[in-house]
Amino acid sequence: MMDLQLLQGVDYLARIGMTTTVPVEIILAAGHVAVDLNNVFITGAEPVRRVEAAEDAGFPRNICGWIKGLYSTVIDSNCVDAVVAVTQGDCSNTHALMETWQLAGVRVIPFAYPFDRDVDMLRLQMQKMATALGANWDQVLEVKWELDRIRRKVAKLDRLTWQQNQVTGTDNHLFQVSCSDFNSDSQKFEKDLDEFLAIAEQTPPRSEPLRLGYIGVPPIFTDLYSHVESMGARVVFNEVQRQFAMPYDEPDIIEQYRRYTYPHGIFCRLEDIQAEIKLRQLDGLIHYVQSFCYRQIEDMIVRKKLDLPILTIEGDKPGCLDARTRLRIDGFIEMLK
Amino acid sequence: MYCGMDLGSRAVKIVLLDEAGLQEQKVIETAHFYKQCGRHTQQGFSVDFATLISHAPESVTVTGYGRNSLNIVGAEIISELKAHTIGALWQTGLEDFTLLDLGGQDSKVIRVRNKRMDDFQLNDKCAASTGRYLENMAMVLGISLDELSRHFQNPVELSATCAIFGESELIGRIVEGVPVAELAAGVNYSIFRRIKPMLLALSSKTVVFTGGVALGPAVAHWVSAEIGSEVVVPAHPQINGAIGCALFARERKSSLC
Repeated sequence: MMDLQLLQGVDYLARIGMTTTVPVEIILAAGHVAVDLNNVFITGAEPVRRVEAAEDAGFPRNICGWIKGLYSTVIDSNCVDAVVAVTQGDCSNTHALMETWQLAGVRVIPFAYPFDRDVDMLRLQMQKMATALGANWDQVLEVKWELDRIRRKVAKLDRLTWQQNQVTGTDNHLFQVSCSDFNSDSQKFEKDLDEFLAIAEQTPPRSEPLRLGYIGVPPIFTDLYSHVESMGARVVFNEVQRQFAMPYDEPDIIEQYRRYTYPHGIFCRLEDIQAEIKLRQLDGLIHYVQSFCYRQIEDMIVRKKLDLPILTIEGDKPGCLDARTRLRIDGFIEMLK
Repeated sequence: MYCGMDLGSRAVKIVLLDEAGLQEQKVIETAHFYKQCGRHTQQGFSVDFATLISHAPESVTVTGYGRNSLNIVGAEIISELKAHTIGALWQTGLEDFTLLDLGGQDSKVIRVRNKRMDDFQLNDKCAASTGRYLENMAMVLGISLDELSRHFQNPVELSATCAIFGESELIGRIVEGVPVAELAAGVNYSIFRRIKPMLLALSSKTVVFTGGVALGPAVAHWVSAEIGSEVVVPAHPQINGAIGCALFARERKSSLC
C-alpha cells in the first residue's frame, strides 16, 4: 500500500514541493509553503551534480535531466515535506519519479490535469488536492484574490517586454517562471516585482531589431536569453513561462486552470502561440525541447501548424549553451536579419 | 587576394581568391595546423601564412567548428551557414536549392531560396551522420575513405544507433563473410538514412552536395534515388566553406567601392 498520508490537520508549516505548476492557491490556503522543485534544482549551487547523483542512484543516462534533477533535489536536500506530483498533463516519467520518491519514504500527492480539459474532472482533482493538504474552499478563493493582484503585475511586466520594449527576455522569463510558487514567498515576490517594475518603467526602450518567441518548457540553459540579445535579437514572448503566470485575470479558479494551456496538449498550446505571434509581431520562434522528452515529437506538429521561421534547440544537462547550440542560434538570427 | 579559411574538426581548408576567381587551395589536418602553422598569442592564434600560401592576403575571413572557440589574429569570423551558402551559390550559379554538407563532425542541410538561406537543420548530439563515422568504418574495413565512398550496391543492414557500437556490428558482419563492397555500401546507406529526414524536411528539386563525403558517388546515389532530387556536386566540394569566406570579403569590398 502506497503511503499517501494526508496532511490534513497538520499544524505545522509544511513545505510542499511540486513537479510542475499546480494550483498553488490550494497549497497556500492550507497554510503551507509552495516549493517548485524545478526552480530549486536549476537555481541550486550545482545542478549538474544533482543530475549525476540521480544517475549514480540508477537513473538511465537517456532520461530527461529535469526528472533526474528533481529526484536528487528531493532526496538529497531535504527541501520539502511532501510533493504534489502531476500524473497527467506532464510526462509519464513523473510516474516513475513519484515511485522512486515513495521508495525513499517521500510523501507524494498525485494531481492530474484532465487531457480533454473537462471542467468536472478538474474540479474533482482540485478538491482532492485541497482535502489532501487540508485547505477549505473559502480560504482558496481568498488566496486566489491575493495572487491575482500579483499575477496582474506580472502581466504588466510582460507588456513592458513586448509593447514598451523595456524588459529583457531574461527578466521576462525569470519573473513569469517564478509564478509557479512565487519563489515560496508571495509577499517578498510582490515586493521584488514592484521594485523591478518601478525601475523598468523608467528604462529607455531597447532597440533589438529582431523579435523572437520562445516556446516549450523553460530552458535548462542558463544563458540563452543573454546570448540571443548579444546577437541583436530579443525574446519578447515566453510561452510556457507566461502560462505559469496565468495572465488571463480569470475570476473562476477552475476556469483559470482549465485555460492554462501547458498540460492540455499541443493544439491547445498552439492556439495561444498563434495569437501571440500575431499580437507581438514575432519574426521567428525558438522551440526548446528537452533531450529524451516526448515533446520532441510535437516539434513536427509545431512546424506544420506555424507559418514562421522556427529554430528547434535541444538541451540535456544544466549549464551554459554548448558550442553547437550557439552555432544554431547564431545561424538562425543571421538568417532572419 | 582574399583568404578564406574553414576551421573544421578534421581538416583546415584554406583558399586564396581574387576578382578572377580561385587561385590557391590547401587542406591541412586540423591538429597539424594548430601545431605547425602558427602560434598561440594573447590576441589569439597567429597563422604563419608564408608557409601556407604564396601571397600575403589582403583580408582573412574564417568560419568553421573553431568559430566559437578560437580567434585567428586579424581575421573576421562569419558563421558556417553563411559561408557554405555563399560558397554554394558561387560554385553552382543556382538560386534555389538545398545544400547538403557532410563534414567531419557536422551534417548540415540548408534550404536556399532566391539566393538566401531560408531554413536549415544540423545534426545534434550525435556524430553518427558525419565524415568521422565514415573514417572509423573505413578503418574497420581496412579500406581508404575514397574506396568506401564508391560503394552503393546491395547495402548490408546496419542497425546500431551509435557510431561506436556500429563498429562492433560491422565486425560481426565481416565475421559472417559479407563482402567488403556490401559492407561499405551498408555504411554509406546508414549515413544517408540519418540525413534523409533533414533532406525531406527541407527538400528542393536540386541538392547541392558538399564536404569531403561528396567526393564519392554513394550518398549522392541515394539522394537522387530516394529523395528524387537532382544532385549537383560543385567543382570543389571540400573547400566550399573556405571559398564562401573569401567571397564574403570580396563581395563586401566590391559593394563598398
